[in-house]
Formats: sequence, C-alpha cells, structure tokens
Amino acid sequence: MDLSSFKEFVVSLSQLTRLNFEVWDAEEGLVFFSKNGNSAPPPTKEIQNLSAQVISGNAFQEASYRDRYTLFGAPIRRGEEVKGAIIAYDSNLRKGHAFDPGGASDDFHKKEMAPLLANLSGLIEEKWASQEESKKMTEEMTRQFEDLYLYSRLASQIKTLRFSNVMLKNLLEELLGTMRIGFAFAVFPEREQYNAMYFDTQASQKVPSPHAFVQSLLSAIPRNAPSLKDNYFIVNDSTEFGRFRKLHPEPFRFLTVKVQHAEKSYGWLGLVSFNLEEIFRRSEMRLLISIAEQVAVVIANTDLYRDLENFVINVVKSLVFAIEAKDHYTRGHSERVNLYSMLIAERLQLEEGQRNALHWASILHDIGKIGIPEMILNKTGRLTDTEYEVIKNHPKKGHEILRPLEQLAPSLHGIIHHHEAYDGKGYPDGLKGEDIPLQARIIAVADTFDAITSDRAYRSARSHKEALEILDKVAGKQLDPRLVEVFKGIIAQKERKH
Amino acid sequence: LGNNRKILVIDDEAHIRRIIELKLKSRGYQVITAANGADGLDLIKTEHPQAVVSDINMPRLDGKTLCQMTDPLKKERPFLTTIITARISPDEEAWVNQMHCTQFMEKPFSPSKLLERIDQYFESERT
Repeated sequence: MDLSSFKEFVVSLSQLTRLNFEVWDAEEGLVFFSKNGNSAPPPTKEIQNLSAQVISGNAFQEASYRDRYTLFGAPIRRGEEVKGAIIAYDSNLRKGHAFDPGGASDDFHKKEMAPLLANLSGLIEEKWASQEESKKMTEEMTRQFEDLYLYSRLASQIKTLRFSNVMLKNLLEELLGTMRIGFAFAVFPEREQYNAMYFDTQASQKVPSPHAFVQSLLSAIPRNAPSLKDNYFIVNDSTEFGRFRKLHPEPFRFLTVKVQHAEKSYGWLGLVSFNLEEIFRRSEMRLLISIAEQVAVVIANTDLYRDLENFVINVVKSLVFAIEAKDHYTRGHSERVNLYSMLIAERLQLEEGQRNALHWASILHDIGKIGIPEMILNKTGRLTDTEYEVIKNHPKKGHEILRPLEQLAPSLHGIIHHHEAYDGKGYPDGLKGEDIPLQARIIAVADTFDAITSDRAYRSARSHKEALEILDKVAGKQLDPRLVEVFKGIIAQKERKH
Repeated sequence: LGNNRKILVIDDEAHIRRIIELKLKSRGYQVITAANGADGLDLIKTEHPQAVVSDINMPRLDGKTLCQMTDPLKKERPFLTTIITARISPDEEAWVNQMHCTQFMEKPFSPSKLLERIDQYFESERT
C-alpha cells in the first residue's frame, strides 16, 4: 500500500479550493502534489523541511515562506506510527503579495487549516486502513485458493486403494513442489521400507544425511507438547528452541503431523524449510493433518486388504489339500504344475500381475476334481464314456467353485480353459490357437508334462526324455508349439545343471 | 515482465476478480476487469489487452462464446486467453484446441500457477 493511491482524491479536493496539496512519505519523500492552474512554483525546500518537522513531531505545524505566505502540515498515521505528511498552501499567492497574518485577506489561517488538515489526513488514514484490510483479506483468500488447489491435487494422489511407495513418492513430490519448502519426509517406524524423503537441491546440500536428521528432529519433539494431542508439532524458528537449534547450524522451520487413523499411529509426515521469511500457517498445518489422516486410512485399508488376501490364500491352500487327499496319484501334482508354469512365465518375462494370476490358476487348475467321485478319479481300468464326461467337467466345476472369490478373478480363465487344445479339439469350449488364454496354454504344457512324468492310476511314470518326445508330438495339436519349445529349453537347462 | 502489459480479468464473482487482479498486479501487470462476458468483449475491443483471463460460466455471454467471438481478432492482434473451468472434459478440450492461443486452468485453480502460466506466455513471446 502506498500513499500515491490517494492522488485522485486529493487533486480533486484541491480543485475545489485555492489550496495546493503535497503528500510526503516518511521514507520515500514526495509522493505527489496537486497543482492548480496558475499557481507559482512550490517552495520545495520549505515544504520538505515542514514535512520533516511534521513527521518527527507527529503534530500539526505551520511555517511561513519569506514572510509572504504560510505552509500548513499535518501527519498521516497508520496506528501509532507516522507514515507521512500532508502539506497545504495557498496556490494564489505570488511574489509581491503581502502577507497579512490575522488580517481580513483571503489567506487561510491556522484556526481553520488545523481541523481541515486533521480531517483530511483522518480520511486518508481511514481509507488506507480499509484498503489494507481489503488487501489482507484478498491475500488470505488467495492463500485459501492455493490451499484448495493443493488439497485437490494431493487428494487425487491419495485416491488409491493400496498404499505404495509410488503413491508416497507422488505425494511428497507434490508437497515439495507446492508448499514452498526444501524438504518433505514420511517416516513409518514399523514399515521402514516405506520411509521416504524428497528435497530440493539447496536443502540436499544442507542436509547430507537426511535420515539421521529426520530422526533427530522427531526425537527432539517434547513428549508432552500440547499440540501433539492434535496430532501435530510446529517449530517456526529453530533458533528459539535449544533442542532444535543444535540439530542444524542454520536456522530452519519444521512441521510434522502424525499419520494416524482410528487411534492407531503409523508414523510421521513432515516438512522442513531453511527459508525463515515464511512460516508454516495454520491452514497448511490443517491441510497436512488431513492428508496424513487420509494416508493412514489408505494404510489401514491396505492392511485389511492384505489380511483378506491371506485369508483367501489359506482357504485356497486347504482346498488344494482336500483335492490331493482324495486322489493320491495326483499328490504334489498341483505344486509341480505351478513350478513348471512359473518357470515358463519367467522365460516369457510376464509382468507381475499376469504371473500372480498364473500362480493361482496353476495351483488350482484341478480344483474342480473335488466334485468327482473317488472311484472314477482313482479307477485303474478304462473309463466309460459317462465317466469320461464327468472327468471332462472338472475345469467348469473349478471355475464355478472359485468364481465367488474376487481375488481369484484374473485366474479363472486359466482354470476353465486348461484342457483346451491348440488345434481346437479340446474342452470345454473348443477354443483354438491364440484364442486360448495364454495362462491356460501354459498350464496345459506344465500339466501334460507332469502327467507323463509321474505315476498315474493307469500307468507308471516315464522319463523326461520320453516326456519331451511326447510333447513334441502333440505340439501344434494339443499344445502351443511355441510354449513347448520354451519348455524344452527350460528342461534342457535343468538337465545340464544336474 | 509486467511492464506495459494489460490483462483483462472477466469473472462474475468479485472476490475471484480481486484475487486474480492482486496476483497479477504483484508482478506489475496492468489489470482491467469485467463482471460478465459482454462487458469483457467490449473491453477486449477497446482496450486491447495482451492477455485475457476468463471464467467459463457467466451471465450475458459465457466464456466459450466470448472465446469464439474474439478468436478472429487474434489474427491481427494476438493475445493469450486463459479459461478457468471446473472440469476439463473431452468436449471442452476439443473446442479449445480449435481456438488460437487459448489455454485451460482447472478449478480449484492456484493463483500463483495462473501467474506462472501468463509469465511463461509473455516470456515465450519475447524470444
């Protein structure tokens, strides 16, 4: 805010009177002057002296100029402080015009000028105050706009079901980019793999060992600090606190909030800056608290999700156990098919999601056999057509059994199609070639190989060499020839190692 | 950077006009304002601002129509238009891409990011 914004107001006032005005700033000197049409050049030096007297004396003053006319001055204040002066003098006085103190001339006199200037400077002070108020409000609103923007950006970073390093990285980088700080960190004492720190180049030079620095910051927080009840702790100037001052040779400010949800505390989210021209504002603190709360919710959800996943895994394991207990020839079959399938997946460099789906599909591919009577499963003689139809139904059965488990959804097509043949003569849907899901084609190779190389109810195990010859024969018919080649490579490599 | 550059801010909400005005003035830009699209259009024609910041939903001429009406003027006297909108939909993206020298800012917007983008425009114009 400066006094120049009152120019228009003062100039128009000047035009209504014979008065000329000048406004002086205590530090900057002359801000502006009003000029009536035919006025003489202003007695600059005298005005400057008077304004200095008014400002230092903080009171109305008058001065005469060469005994010819009088200058009047009043202070302009902001609160207790004198910020400037307003000077007035008669614009019509020219050289030679007689000075007539207390006479009947048109001259302006102290008794009328003192209240006039007091009113005028009062008006300016009032206007100034309200303009400053309005500016402050706009600045505050601007900050709220920035916070709102920041919050909407950050919220979209946290809008994830699973807690991960990537999510945390995005969040901290966003904080670093928008909070005008040098250093952002997240510390989780019980999950150190997630601990993360990001800093700008300046801060990274100042903090050569950030982990140790953050640890020292966190341990310096007094246990009984009242703000901890509200899940935060702020130091806006480290030099004011002995225990923080000694942590770094340079002054810094520090804000940290607890990552906490439903009474459970997971760790800390914090910001550090070496720029003390700014401070951490309440709104920033509240923003960080609500972000930390959301992070805690995501962590809690991730834990719940993991528990659920473990539960499903245990259910699935007991299902596998049940089917293998029933059919003693296939004991260990699921594990071996899983092992071979995963070896193929590795060779094909499948991505993690596909590998995970294949993992469960290969373990569970025969789960549908749980519904087949033991006398058919373990029959040594030739199966009747009806019995064969019952056996052929197991991929569909397996699909039905597992369908309610949401976590296994990506594995279902591997299970239902693991008996499809590459030439289209398989079951249940008679899919052909690449129409058969990759998962199912992989399991088919692993399944066939293990069936040949292990004891069955109707025959005994054959050698790897023999098994590979058979695979070669059925490549392109029952099995995907490309996958057979991949698999042969894997077995050959294994044999060489032995 | 703001020297002698005039920016027109059009928004029907006074506090938003004030926020943008103050932010732009902090960089020394000269700022004029209008509370609706129709007044904004007049000011574009008479005051020739070098940049326009406009809300999209406004009484008497919305931001989109204003953009389309002033687009031909840019051939002779180019200026940057920044449209502030609640959501950037594919539809909006499509019509903005057809305009000359027009960009989007999504609400809630950051006043400092807005200033940054306008600075960038004048910076690039200079080189």
